[in-house]
Amino acid sequence: MALTVSETLSVGRAAKRRQIWSVGGGKGGIGKSLIAASVGWQLARMGQRVVLVDADLGGANLHTCLGLPNPARTLADFIQRRLDTIEEVLTETGAPGLRLLSGAGDLLTAANIKHAQKIRILKKIQGLDVDVVLIDIGAGTSFNSLDFFLISDVAVLAVVPEPSSIENGYRFIKSALYRRLRAVAPHPEVRRLVDAALDPKNEMGLRTPLDLVARVEQEDAEAAAAMRREMSSFHPRFVVNEVRDERDVAIGHQLVAACSRHLGLRASYAGFVHFEDAVWRAVRRRRLFMADAPTSRAAEEVRQLTRGLLKGEDLGSGY
Amino acid sequence: MDRENLYDVLGLEPGASRDQVERGYRFSLEMYGEDALAMYSLLEPAELDGMRSRICEAYHVLSDSEQRAAYDQDRGFAPPASSAVPFQGREESGAEGVELPEVLSGPDLRRIREARGVTLRHMANVTKIGTRFLEYIEEDRFSFLPAPVYLRGFLQEYARIVSLDPRGVADAYMKRLPAHS
Repeated sequence: MALTVSETLSVGRAAKRRQIWSVGGGKGGIGKSLIAASVGWQLARMGQRVVLVDADLGGANLHTCLGLPNPARTLADFIQRRLDTIEEVLTETGAPGLRLLSGAGDLLTAANIKHAQKIRILKKIQGLDVDVVLIDIGAGTSFNSLDFFLISDVAVLAVVPEPSSIENGYRFIKSALYRRLRAVAPHPEVRRLVDAALDPKNEMGLRTPLDLVARVEQEDAEAAAAMRREMSSFHPRFVVNEVRDERDVAIGHQLVAACSRHLGLRASYAGFVHFEDAVWRAVRRRRLFMADAPTSRAAEEVRQLTRGLLKGEDLGSGY
Repeated sequence: MDRENLYDVLGLEPGASRDQVERGYRFSLEMYGEDALAMYSLLEPAELDGMRSRICEAYHVLSDSEQRAAYDQDRGFAPPASSAVPFQGREESGAEGVELPEVLSGPDLRRIREARGVTLRHMANVTKIGTRFLEYIEEDRFSFLPAPVYLRGFLQEYARIVSLDPRGVADAYMKRLPAHS
């Protein structure tokens, strides 16, 4: 017997693996939370069941982006056993299919949480019965932030067209990659090389991951091959936020080319979002511009960005 | 990056079409520009300088069919596919039978562009040349235009979008540039 539309959809949904998406960027104030919130909102709009995770240590503000009051229930309630399941911690956002997990930042910093417990909670988050878990990583390059980025199926790196943001973006990418390369380093000698490479002014002249792998090759060809495999599976997707003109838009293409030519990494350009009055007007009213100004250019760009991320499409090479 | 070939310098593969060479050249110039944001913290200013001169060298060879053929042969690269053989303008669709005047001004170019219904925004999107530069070209603001070697590339790209002979347009426009060293 033929399946109804909704049955077909639910079969498709059951067969599909739950995905982890993350938005990082290494620098505060570049609109990461706004991108995470709006992409999450749009995903839900497109029929995905989404949980937004606020892992921003500096300033947990996803709820503000969504126009919600400070969530009454946070991950701390689960950690301290006031709530039995992680599902109980989730806050409804008012948008169908979109829920918020607040306070994951506490999980990253709380000194009294044992590592094993941390892993257990992360597994619970990963195990949520949804289509997409979307993590707002927040600023900084702490190991925990990098790990969120590294475990993601879709790792979005947000930048704005400003030198400090670009610098932090590269630093974030390099830190994440080196963390991964260090993990596959088979012995202390190679690990020392990875650690040396992390310092951009190191005396061995290891300035890029390409230099590092070439150097490791001399010591241990097998380790170098493992590192190359890690590099080829690492795939950051750039989003350029707050663009003002075509030159700003072009920066995304240039970042991708720079990653390929100078870092030996396959990145892609997922999309851009224009700087627009409608966005900050909505922010000031504590409303999400996707809902508040759906006809704005920024809202259309987020819709395109989300569709592209979902389908694995990007904006190409730019030439 | 010392062992990279001229194609690598422009982010291309051997066998790239003439059109791709133009685009790769323009893209790379912008990417490694003096105030290019995308390279910030990745390369030092002196390295950017070095990259730009290598880009110009690479373009110099790859944009000239004779020099490129010799280079390809020397390196054992296959020649560009026949469909990608350097155009000479007349082969381009719509370019046939268009008699270019000896001299073209910026406003002339704008009239042609507008007559063909091409917006500056579209042209900027396709060519990756900043709208600003396209406007300077159309407004004959010579002092704002880039060095002749870059300008020639811009004009050729412009010509291609409005289906004119790229070389002819570049020659006709550049005749009017004030002579300076």
